[in-house]
Amino acid sequence: MFAGTLIASATMTIMSRDPVRSALFLVLSFFAAAALWILLTAEFLGLVLILVYVGAVMTLFLFVIMTSHRVDLTIKPSFSRYWPYALAIVLLFMLLALSVLSSYRTPSQLIRANVDNTAALGSILYTHYVYPFEIMGLLLLVGIIAAISLNPRVIRDRKQQDPSQQICVKPSDRIRLIKMKPSIRS
Amino acid sequence: MNEWVGLGILLFPLLGAAITGLCSLPPKAAHRIAISGIGLSFLLSLYGAYLIFFSSVNSIDFSFYLWRLTDAVHFSIGMLLDPLASIMIVVVNFVSLIVHIYSIAYMRDDPGYQRFFSYISLFTFAMLTLVSADNFLQLFFAWEAVGLVSYLLIGFWFKRPTANAASLKAFLVNRVGDFGFILGLGLIWRYCGSLDFNNVFNSVPVLVHQIISILPGTHWSVITVICLCLFIGAMGKSAQIPLHVWLPESMEGPTPISALIHAATMVTAGIYLITRLAPFFTYSPVALNVILIIGASTALFMGLLALVQTDIKRVIAYSTLSQLGYMMAACGCCAFSAAIFHLITHAFFKALLFLAAGSVILALHHEQDIRKMSRLRGSSLPITYVGFLIGTLALIALPPFSGFYSKDAIIEAVASSHLAASGYAYFCLLAGVVITVCYSLRVFFLVFHSKRTEPASIATESTVIKIALIALSIPAVIVGIILSHAHGFLNPSVFVQPIGYSTADQLSTLRMHAVVWPQVQIFSVPLCLLLAGVFITWCCYIKFPDLLDRLTNRFSTLYRILRANYGFDAFNDRVFVRGGIQLAKLFFKVDALILDEKFVNGSGRLISWFSRIFRTIQSGLLYQYTLVMILGLVLMMLAVVIVQWHLVWPRFLTEPGPVFLSA
Amino acid sequence: MIALNDYLIVSAVLFSLGLLGLMIHRRSIIHLLMSIELLLLAVNTNFIAFSYYFHSIAGQVFVFFILGVAAVEAAIGLAILLVLFRAKHDVDVDSLTSLKG
Repeated sequence: MFAGTLIASATMTIMSRDPVRSALFLVLSFFAAAALWILLTAEFLGLVLILVYVGAVMTLFLFVIMTSHRVDLTIKPSFSRYWPYALAIVLLFMLLALSVLSSYRTPSQLIRANVDNTAALGSILYTHYVYPFEIMGLLLLVGIIAAISLNPRVIRDRKQQDPSQQICVKPSDRIRLIKMKPSIRS
Repeated sequence: MNEWVGLGILLFPLLGAAITGLCSLPPKAAHRIAISGIGLSFLLSLYGAYLIFFSSVNSIDFSFYLWRLTDAVHFSIGMLLDPLASIMIVVVNFVSLIVHIYSIAYMRDDPGYQRFFSYISLFTFAMLTLVSADNFLQLFFAWEAVGLVSYLLIGFWFKRPTANAASLKAFLVNRVGDFGFILGLGLIWRYCGSLDFNNVFNSVPVLVHQIISILPGTHWSVITVICLCLFIGAMGKSAQIPLHVWLPESMEGPTPISALIHAATMVTAGIYLITRLAPFFTYSPVALNVILIIGASTALFMGLLALVQTDIKRVIAYSTLSQLGYMMAACGCCAFSAAIFHLITHAFFKALLFLAAGSVILALHHEQDIRKMSRLRGSSLPITYVGFLIGTLALIALPPFSGFYSKDAIIEAVASSHLAASGYAYFCLLAGVVITVCYSLRVFFLVFHSKRTEPASIATESTVIKIALIALSIPAVIVGIILSHAHGFLNPSVFVQPIGYSTADQLSTLRMHAVVWPQVQIFSVPLCLLLAGVFITWCCYIKFPDLLDRLTNRFSTLYRILRANYGFDAFNDRVFVRGGIQLAKLFFKVDALILDEKFVNGSGRLISWFSRIFRTIQSGLLYQYTLVMILGLVLMMLAVVIVQWHLVWPRFLTEPGPVFLSA
Repeated sequence: MIALNDYLIVSAVLFSLGLLGLMIHRRSIIHLLMSIELLLLAVNTNFIAFSYYFHSIAGQVFVFFILGVAAVEAAIGLAILLVLFRAKHDVDVDSLTSLKG
């Protein structure tokens, strides 16, 4: 059931013309996927998916869509001219994948749930995979810096002080003392 | 001590040449330095000749530098002064000295005065080196140097296009001869192992029966091939047919150098070479016959050409060609002493003729066409007249002038030779006697005795010219008598093996005795021919001048052939010059059109064509990139599946198909 | 019981839907970005399924990281979108041809 929901909403995501609508369908897909993951006893990740992905990334998506949304956007968009070819390619792909994957039979048994999923993740994340974990943090940092620096907030006409230059100022840049002889006319 | 004599002979002219060539001097200082250089060399050469001929010294042979390339290969630089070299050095130095003195007057107003003296001193140095070399490499070096200085001197007045063309022609034709020379040199090196004269000549008997096959299947005697190759070199230098074409053109240079180079010294280098190689030539009858034929033909045909020339210097040039043919013919029948004898006498009287002609040209203000010269006899050129007369009489071999002894020695040698071509040669040489008389007396009569009015202005002879002409006339008269007494004077230096057809040499030395001669001469064939020729010419030019015009009209075809120099120049022009230009054009076409256009530019165009095609793929459109990427991915998967189909296929059969999930 | 390959089929279908979306949306970058999110989701699902069926926690760890990367990439993509929008006032992909060769 969840899988069907997932596939259906994904289809609607790509088929809908309105970006808002497709974003909302994407949210629905994420919810269905999270449900699937919880079914597969990956509860932590499923919840993280909803919290982080839906909560943060999709919100961001919707925000950007709202910002860049033009009134006449609904008039213009259309599918690419080549959509039959694309459909053909993708169907081929699907066929291939399905034909290969259809015979993957493994014994289905429940996982040994001795340990809580979150604890299990945590115990392995901070020991064996601590290095990638740190690099992940770095990556996030880089992402933040990139996102910020891509949208500078410089308003050209405002007279604003630049702190880095202010620190470097010397008195001699601001004032010049001249000794003058007094000139007194009586 | 004797080595210093030899070195001094070589180095004084070089020093004179260097100083006058490199420093800027006033004219008087220039000619004084050059003349003193040559004069010192001349005195030393006289001393050397005295040593060799009159004292017990047989030869001065030394090498003063050994150039080692490897332990087995080394060349030496040295001198060999044996009687042959010594007498040639004396002759060269004497003629060069006279020419130097003469040039003071002849080149007086020329802006290249100093350069001229430097060149002729340099030439003297090169010629002396050639004659005194003790190995082939040094001889070849001097050979080339002489050719080079000849080029410089012929093109002395380099602003004249004809002079430039003539000097280039001389050099190129010389080069063709040098090609044969180098081949011969290589063969000597290969078969004798060294290039020193001593080593080479000692190994000659070993080489006699060796065979070389040039083309597969043909067998040639090594000695014959060497002789022929070296003879080609001598042909280039001594202007035999067909490499004679440069000598008449070389009259573009000033008259003193015509006297020095093209009468007395450089052209005799070929004769000298062949005489030096006498040990080789005596073993090769084939080569001797070739030399005989070519020499005799040159003697006759070039003499015929001299009959129809109108430029006074050209007549004397063709006369030189003819006399060189005589010398070659003498070499051809192994009468090397006679050849050298004629070389010596010819040097004197030909130089005399050239200088006298130069004096006439100078007097008539550089007019060289004999048809325009008129009665100069008894005018203000007495010494010139006498000098020209003496030279002419020596040339036509009237006794007791020097030419008589040497030329008759040659004719006798050819007559008594047993070679196959000697009959033809004898005929040619005898005919040449008559022709020689005709053309030389023709010039003499036309220049000095023609019945036209005297020219308006004649410059008088300068003292220097008088001295030079007198100085040359004396040997022209007496050298013949002197040397004919010295029978066998060259014997120690010319290593002739008596093998049957070389009896002429002993014959010449026996017959060259003045006492015997005068009684025989009245009835000797050449002398009769000579007198007949004198009579004919006198008739043509003095008695019945219009006889000549009628003869010219009767034999007009022959006349035209003679005027065109038998077509040698036309042939050379058509075949070699134009052919060379066509070949160059062909190469230009190949290079420019094919290599440049197709390969160089074509590869550039190919690359830009390719890049134009590839550029269309880069459209900058995002969707196209994604499309291509995904397409590539799908294709790759397809490829994998196809390749692994044998693994995948069974699964389709065993499995009931994909099972879709149920919620 | 639900077998592994069912999950894999779901994941494959999801992936191809993402590809389809990528290919047919020429005009708007937003749809492209959403298709990319779909792709990543498909891959994540794949990983989770494998992790469950092979009793290995490594799959989930990988998902963890992919999730993070996907979030960052979405954020930066949107930032670029905003910049483009500010520059051109248009969200048309076809006009981004400055990489044309």
